[in-house]
Amino acid sequence: MKSIVLSSVVTALLMFSGCSKEPAVDNKADAVTTPAVQEVETVETETVSPENSVVDSGNANGSDMDMAAIESKLPTVYFAFDKYNITPEMQAKIDAAAELGKSDEAKSINVKLEGNCDEWGSDEYNFALGLKRAEAVKKALVADGIDASRISMVSYGKSNPVCSDHTKECWAKNRRVNFKLLP
Amino acid sequence: MITFVFANDATIEVIKKADVVPSIAVEDASTDYSDTFRLRFFKALNADLNVLSIFNVDRHYRVNDLYDDVLVDNKDMDYVLRYKISEDDGGAFSVQMLLFHHGENIFSKNYRVSKQNIYMFVSHAMAYDINEFMDQPSVAWMKRKVIFARLIAPMKSEIVISDYTLTYQHAVLKGGFNIFPKWANQKQDAIYYTDLDAKKPTLKYLNIKNGQIKSIISSDGMMVCSDVSSDGKRLLLTMANNGQPDIYSFDVDTHKYKRLTTYRGIDVNGQFMSKNKIAFISSRLGYPNVFSKRLDTNEVEQMVYYGKSNVSCSAHGNYIVYSARESSNAFSQNTFNLHLISTQTDYIRRLTASGVNEFPKFSKDGDAIIFIKNYKNQSAIGIIRLNYNKNYLFPLKYGKVQSMDW
Repeated sequence: MKSIVLSSVVTALLMFSGCSKEPAVDNKADAVTTPAVQEVETVETETVSPENSVVDSGNANGSDMDMAAIESKLPTVYFAFDKYNITPEMQAKIDAAAELGKSDEAKSINVKLEGNCDEWGSDEYNFALGLKRAEAVKKALVADGIDASRISMVSYGKSNPVCSDHTKECWAKNRRVNFKLLP
Repeated sequence: MITFVFANDATIEVIKKADVVPSIAVEDASTDYSDTFRLRFFKALNADLNVLSIFNVDRHYRVNDLYDDVLVDNKDMDYVLRYKISEDDGGAFSVQMLLFHHGENIFSKNYRVSKQNIYMFVSHAMAYDINEFMDQPSVAWMKRKVIFARLIAPMKSEIVISDYTLTYQHAVLKGGFNIFPKWANQKQDAIYYTDLDAKKPTLKYLNIKNGQIKSIISSDGMMVCSDVSSDGKRLLLTMANNGQPDIYSFDVDTHKYKRLTTYRGIDVNGQFMSKNKIAFISSRLGYPNVFSKRLDTNEVEQMVYYGKSNVSCSAHGNYIVYSARESSNAFSQNTFNLHLISTQTDYIRRLTASGVNEFPKFSKDGDAIIFIKNYKNQSAIGIIRLNYNKNYLFPLKYGKVQSMDW
């Protein structure tokens, strides 16, 4: 959200500075004046608003900010081809995520586990495989003391790839479970 | 019906020599429309006649301005099909057709549709009528519509209606993440699909005629309509309450459902074989494979003893077509081929030989199988004529097919 606002400010500033040079051309003075006025107004409101909006969003969306911060600390859990068992390496990541989930700042937040697959196999089977991956992570989190009622699951099969190259490395990146936090 | 279509065992390959079937030439006597469009129509008709598998179709595009005489070049052909496409006052698209056999006009028919852009349906209807006239097993599936979901971006999709060659494409549902479309009835005026934008994956019903959408049932984690019974009264769903994907039967009138599989791994892709028997894909042996289950006795039977990754299937009566990953190494040249089995024999018939072949689906009468073939960065829609042992491919222009129903 912020980045959109900021980029629009930059755009507005660029347009404004561009327009301010325009009046040098006499013939178009009239035509330029009107948009130039509009642009000034836009810039004023836009330059003010990001400062306000930072404050506003800090007040109104405090949990969003915290959630984004927490979400950035959560792992992506990867799986082997056609498998949904959790490797020891991934178990360690899930244990750390569970500790975070039990902390004061996160204990009121729910999590949605999103299961994903690589491009191989029929989509219906892949959806189920993605779901079993999400379920495996859920079971591991519950075993680590997270309340099952805080966890929901969804599978996107092969419909939500993070990487679309046809390479071994790319497929490995897509066989994953993501943590998405819900207020 | 089934025994009629598969008069012989369809798992046994039929070898016919190309020169045994009669030859046919196609002549264009049109004066309306551009050369480009006239050639496009010729190609569509030529392809349809090929798919009939009862002619050796001459590929030369021949123009004949004389509507009532056969070209000298084509005098030796067993059959000559002459047609004339024309544009009516209201922009309607009309076709007059004459079929000659050794110089004698033996069959004629005229066609008319409201718009030029649905010309392929006329071509399919002409091929269908010629096949009927020649007294061959029905190709009614040629006139049916295909519905498919196309991924346009991660978690963004469209649901598209098309003809069986996927030449005509019309998006009926745009925006959002809607997948796994299935025809809801024989009339093809409504579909079921999965809405993944909803809070829980939700099965929805879309009436194509009036655009009305109804929510049918939701499930945590996963929801797929895998098959619709021939009378449209029962569905086979994959649902996953508590993260456990299993197959359920669902009564369309009462909305009551019943869990049909209870294995703690993966059970998906339920397909009606008969009133009391389903085929499905299960990981119960540690890898995906095809099984059947009798609903009255709960007896489960392994259907395929070949391949370590048989990931999807379509059933028609005693026949099951399934796709199998051929290579044991997951990241070598990945090849998925289609195979046909029958519950009556132990024989396996391989239907494709190269590429990644997926989404096999029987026509309603079991006469043909439609599928998607990906080979060397190209995608095509394939039609397999089981009784003729022939495969036909139509190039697919764009979009990644997520799921398809016929």
